[in-house]
Amino acid sequence: MTRELTVMMLTWEFPPRIVGGISPHVYHLATNLAKNGVKVYVVTCDFPGAPRHEVIDGAEVFRIDSYKNPAPDFATWVYLMNVNMQKEAAAIVNDLNGKVDIFHAHDWLVATASIGLKHVFRKPLIATVHSTEIGRRNGIHLDYERMIHETESWLTYEAWKVICCSNYMVSHVKWAFNLPQDKLVMIPNGVNTEEFAKFRDVEKNGDFNAFRRRFALPEEKLVLFVGRLVYEKGVHVLVNAVPKVLEKVNAKFVIVGNGYMKESLSNIVKNMGFAHKVIFTGFVDEETLRKLQICADVSVVPSLFEPFGIVALEAMAAKTPVVVSDTGGLSEIVEHDKTGVKVYPNNPDSLAWGITKVLLDKSYADYIRTNAYRKVCEKYNWNLISQQTKTVYTSVLEEYSKSAWAGAVKDTSIL
Amino acid sequence: MPMQVIVFSWEFPPRIVGQLANYVKKLAVQLVKNNIKTYVVTYHDYLTGQQSEPEGIKIYRVTNPVHTHIGVLTWVLTLNQEVERAAADIYYDAEKRIDLIDAHDWHFIPAAVTLKKALNIPFIYSVDSLEEHRSHGANSPFNMAIKSIEWLGMYEAKRVTVKSEWMKNEVFRIYKVPLEKVKVINPKSAVWMKEILEVYEDVAGGANDA
Repeated sequence: MTRELTVMMLTWEFPPRIVGGISPHVYHLATNLAKNGVKVYVVTCDFPGAPRHEVIDGAEVFRIDSYKNPAPDFATWVYLMNVNMQKEAAAIVNDLNGKVDIFHAHDWLVATASIGLKHVFRKPLIATVHSTEIGRRNGIHLDYERMIHETESWLTYEAWKVICCSNYMVSHVKWAFNLPQDKLVMIPNGVNTEEFAKFRDVEKNGDFNAFRRRFALPEEKLVLFVGRLVYEKGVHVLVNAVPKVLEKVNAKFVIVGNGYMKESLSNIVKNMGFAHKVIFTGFVDEETLRKLQICADVSVVPSLFEPFGIVALEAMAAKTPVVVSDTGGLSEIVEHDKTGVKVYPNNPDSLAWGITKVLLDKSYADYIRTNAYRKVCEKYNWNLISQQTKTVYTSVLEEYSKSAWAGAVKDTSIL
Repeated sequence: MPMQVIVFSWEFPPRIVGQLANYVKKLAVQLVKNNIKTYVVTYHDYLTGQQSEPEGIKIYRVTNPVHTHIGVLTWVLTLNQEVERAAADIYYDAEKRIDLIDAHDWHFIPAAVTLKKALNIPFIYSVDSLEEHRSHGANSPFNMAIKSIEWLGMYEAKRVTVKSEWMKNEVFRIYKVPLEKVKVINPKSAVWMKEILEVYEDVAGGANDA
């Protein structure tokens, strides 16, 4: 190998621009790949105050001028932004004399740009599908949704390999886009335990109790939910479980996040007479979130649809016992009675049973949270995940080197 | 070595939407007669792939992989990737010797821009009509998006050709294109093809000094 393996990642969000889970995912993947000897260029949307070009922990980040005129709708904005993204990415690759071996796209939000770059430079494209329109909407009902669905399908068609973060998503994506099994690769999402370790020191200084009292009385157990307040996250199931838990144990329910269901959920809580037992915090800053995840006596993930379930991993990394609904990626992350508690999805009685079990049996809670932390360190660490991703890159390049395209391109010194 | 050019048009016979289809056909036929290797990349629902016309034009028709759309804008923007792919295929098959792209109207400007940035192929933006006139001055986000693509084309093109003095003034008024970059070529003129060939000669040979 005459030079290091070089990857250009395309993503619509990268820190400090954080919309959802793709941003931290790409950050950890890109920086850990850099640690493992891969040259990584990240091309992403610009963000107020963030530089156009910088190196972050070994990954070289370019922020492109995303389309800023008013757009008719979100999807049209995405396609317009992709025009700018591929224009600027094409110039970057050209400046590098074509020395990029692989394009790696994250979700349909960068589909058209990455497909274009693949063909003009004749380099392989790899796509990570984090989520699907058909899953998010529980079916395809409108032309707008079908357009996005078909764009996602097109991206998987053009990709050499499609990476999904759970076996559940592998099956789902295979079904949704009619893909052959050998095109799909499962590489889990990860969590960085150090993000929690640095806040755990606060606990030793005694600050921890003062922080906890902002949310719960000392005699109250703290039950934590983190997520968007939307139907698919199942927060309404948790709200309906509140009275059932309170029959058995004194607790405070802290619900972090925003969403269109916030007002109706808070009305349900008021009407049940439990407004003093449930706090809706809205968005909180990262430090508050991490500390809450550490302080919680139980973290609850009651999703109805969940491609992966990163909040469950975060809770496990925070050494907090988790109660999750047995669905999607959550089913794979949690082993019942070993690393957490699984309950029936969309079932408040089952959820209340799981929460109560963890809150009333301290030795059980300690057992599952200790196992869970060990599991997170072994399986869901970004160093390992980036090595698995590098293996996919290497095998794709090996196949590519035998393809008709390999002779047609500017630079093949890697092979 | 004969010059090799790719012509982009969203309509080309047998697909005829307006007057551009027949104009581009006439242009391509004349280019071939003038010893220019001429590739046309255009759209058709299902007559896709590469073909040679009796007159010697090489046609590459593409369709849109995304069948469902909410408007012409999303349709055009996704279709651009297939146009870009077809042009890249032509480029690699022609041993990377494409002298220029002649893009007719705004539709395939995004593809022309990426090809310029990636492969150093200069392009000409041949203006038939502008969104300002088609939409009678409407400025909804939809119209603004099309105008932003027209602006991008005006900015990135090495030359802009228009069909009348009036349009030259409009291009200057709306997009502030330097007048020396704009060339009026009247399709009815006796020297029409000669003037086009002059512009092609001018543009061929590099995108970087635009």
